Amino acid sequence: MKMKRLSTAILSVSMAFGVTCLAQADEFPTKPLTLVVGFGAGGSTDIQARVLANVLEENLGQPVNVVNQPGAGGAVSLTRLMNNQDEGHTFIYAGTNGTLTFAPHAHDTDFTLDDFRYVASITTVQHAIVTGENRPFGDSWEDLIEYARENPGTSYATQHALDRLVIEYIMEQEDLDLRIVPTSGGAGMAPLILSGDVDFGYSGGTHSGYAETGEMPVLLSMDGERLFAFPDAPTVMEAGYDIDTSDFRVVVVPKNTPDAHVERLAEALEVATRDPRFIEITEERILMPVHFIGEEDATEMLYSQSENYRRLLDEMGGVPEDD
Amino acid sequence: MIGFDAILSAFIAALHYESIAIIFGGVLLGYIVGVIPGLNRAVAIAIAIPLTFYMSAYAAIAFLIGLSKGTAAGSAVSAILLNTPGEPSSAATCLDGYPMAKNGKPRKALKVGLLASVIGDLLATLLLIAVVIPFASVALKFGPYELTAILVFALVFVAGMAGGSFLKGLAAGGMGIILGTVGLDPETGAARLTFGYAELMEGVPILPLVIGTLALAEMFAQLDEHRRNKGASVIKLGKSSEDSLSYREFKSTLPTIFKSTGVGAFVGALPGLGPTVGAFMAYGLAKRTAKDPDSFGKGNPNGIAAAESADNAVIPASYIPLFGLGIPGSVSAALLVGAFMIHGIQVGPLMLREHPEMLFTLFSGMIVASVLMLVVGWYGLRIFAKVTNVPPHIVIAIVIFLCLAGIQVQGYGTFGLATVFVFSIFGYFLKKFDYSFVTFLVAFIVTPMLEMNLRQSVILSGGDIGILLQRPIALAFVVFTALMVLHLAWTAYRRWLGDRLKARQS
Repeated sequence: MKMKRLSTAILSVSMAFGVTCLAQADEFPTKPLTLVVGFGAGGSTDIQARVLANVLEENLGQPVNVVNQPGAGGAVSLTRLMNNQDEGHTFIYAGTNGTLTFAPHAHDTDFTLDDFRYVASITTVQHAIVTGENRPFGDSWEDLIEYARENPGTSYATQHALDRLVIEYIMEQEDLDLRIVPTSGGAGMAPLILSGDVDFGYSGGTHSGYAETGEMPVLLSMDGERLFAFPDAPTVMEAGYDIDTSDFRVVVVPKNTPDAHVERLAEALEVATRDPRFIEITEERILMPVHFIGEEDATEMLYSQSENYRRLLDEMGGVPEDD
Repeated sequence: MIGFDAILSAFIAALHYESIAIIFGGVLLGYIVGVIPGLNRAVAIAIAIPLTFYMSAYAAIAFLIGLSKGTAAGSAVSAILLNTPGEPSSAATCLDGYPMAKNGKPRKALKVGLLASVIGDLLATLLLIAVVIPFASVALKFGPYELTAILVFALVFVAGMAGGSFLKGLAAGGMGIILGTVGLDPETGAARLTFGYAELMEGVPILPLVIGTLALAEMFAQLDEHRRNKGASVIKLGKSSEDSLSYREFKSTLPTIFKSTGVGAFVGALPGLGPTVGAFMAYGLAKRTAKDPDSFGKGNPNGIAAAESADNAVIPASYIPLFGLGIPGSVSAALLVGAFMIHGIQVGPLMLREHPEMLFTLFSGMIVASVLMLVVGWYGLRIFAKVTNVPPHIVIAIVIFLCLAGIQVQGYGTFGLATVFVFSIFGYFLKKFDYSFVTFLVAFIVTPMLEMNLRQSVILSGGDIGILLQRPIALAFVVFTALMVLHLAWTAYRRWLGDRLKARQS
């Protein structure tokens, strides 16, 4: 009796091992996955990630847990991912612009673009330069430039080093004298713009919430194309500035992730970008267009953007560094 | 405009047994999270959002609101019984709650805290309903100039109230200010005092700091105490009549509750200040205006009432800018925006026009949540008061475990744990040498906001101080602050004179 139990135990253990070995050879994922968000809970990245996790779960057949690792505009989460040995079971849903393509030039980040693989890009950030209602220059970029030329000390609300660099570049091009006011995030910018204390400013997506009331008109789209909800505002390029400020949201895994795992993730992501739940939350609520750009194109996009920022930084004499 | 019928039907919907069950679930869960020092409100909401995927939009929002209210009531329990605030914003509740519990009146302290919480919350909810529609835009009158003036006022006010040695207060405040400036410079993006840690680029994370200085340090202090005289300082759950709350005693705290609710609601309606500032300002006001300011900090029920009612009033009030203008006034408000979005509702000025029924359903849900909070709290405190029967060597170990587990759950990683330990040692010595942790904490919380608003003011005005003449609200607060400083200097001078006189007589 005892022997029998023992042999059953041995058999089942070896079977279990056999199965996992087999599974590891051609199955992914073999255990629950972790989707890391490099920001606090409640932002647009976080909301998308939570719906995305729900959709991915069904396709991958394993639970997908969302974990927030806030800090340094997403840099903390990327630094942690860099040394991750999870073979694709842990991945980040990250914005490219500030974190991946600009930050390594501007700050001393521990990582560079070369440290990761970019499984796919799935949405575009609709960031913009915005203003409030009833301003003397209305809601047109050209009129604003004219107004700012006549009124030195026109104020601009910045949120991070990147949009500051862009506005400083524009100041130089247009020969303006602006007062650049720092703010923290969309919640810090919105009251300043709505109250009229500041003339115009950068918005990462907050303006989408006011698309229908018209309380926060868009002056300039910072995406490569015109914004979805504000088709009348020109893009940075159309306004005559030769810089690419477009921002995508990509799924990032460490460099050492096996090809098969990246492909399986990409497959699941492609399905997710066609899922009505993900489309609804992203396109209708957050007002960000959904797309699917595979690893090769996404990676190329990122490298060209990174090069673009390096050039811009050189031209502007670098970011203000600590002495 | 929305008709009376619609408002009525919204309330009927909220009184449906299913809705009540869901809100009850939210309040209960929130209460438990509130009691546990390591877990805070924002995390509870973040974790609960995926749970609400499977609920209807109304149920989901009602659940989350119940959750967020429950945490505020629950956090008072650990503040009073263990001297470790369940939420950073309950730090002010410890000041009188713990001494009162130690004096053998834990039940009374818990009841005062609970009633103050519920009244503060309910009044602020009613204020929200009355005010959100016509007056939301008043919040926009408070620009960077006004906020700078208010923050300076808050800092001076709270520091002045803490009392004790002037030099030690200054040292504690200075430490808070220095730690508050850690992180990227908001203007140049230069890293300040980060020592190469990417984790410090956005400043010292507040939760590990608070858990370390308040919760863990307190556990160390209690451990120390316990080792020296076993069982001496344990809170006893007596059956004495001293420990029950009489109607007259409750009535005597009502004026404080009303005043503090006003302070809390004002602070909550301004985006960004948050419940900790509100609770400490209300506590300071209660102490200043009391007939017996010396009894504060030694177990005065008015101290508990002030801190708790203001703490709870901030939360509904922070929804005023949210629903009126679309600006989230607190972290939990920002999380609610996310939850709304997931359920297909765009929060902001449009909500009022497009989904007025939703707004009123929400309001009715909030009122039901307030009432349920009373029920959960009333029965909860009977259970939690039993914690005092558990020997301290077990309680202390469990609390330390919960603190550390909470930090880990919230994704702060090893860095967060290291931060907790550094600050627990720091907090232990603050306590040992009688430095005011209130001044330290408020300075730390206020500094980043103050810096940002001050810089904005200076840049926007082009450095011209004359701008104050165009901003009467800011000017008024600057004058209040100046008067406050003069008053503090005068009382300090008189005390010094009195001491000298005494010294000469003896």
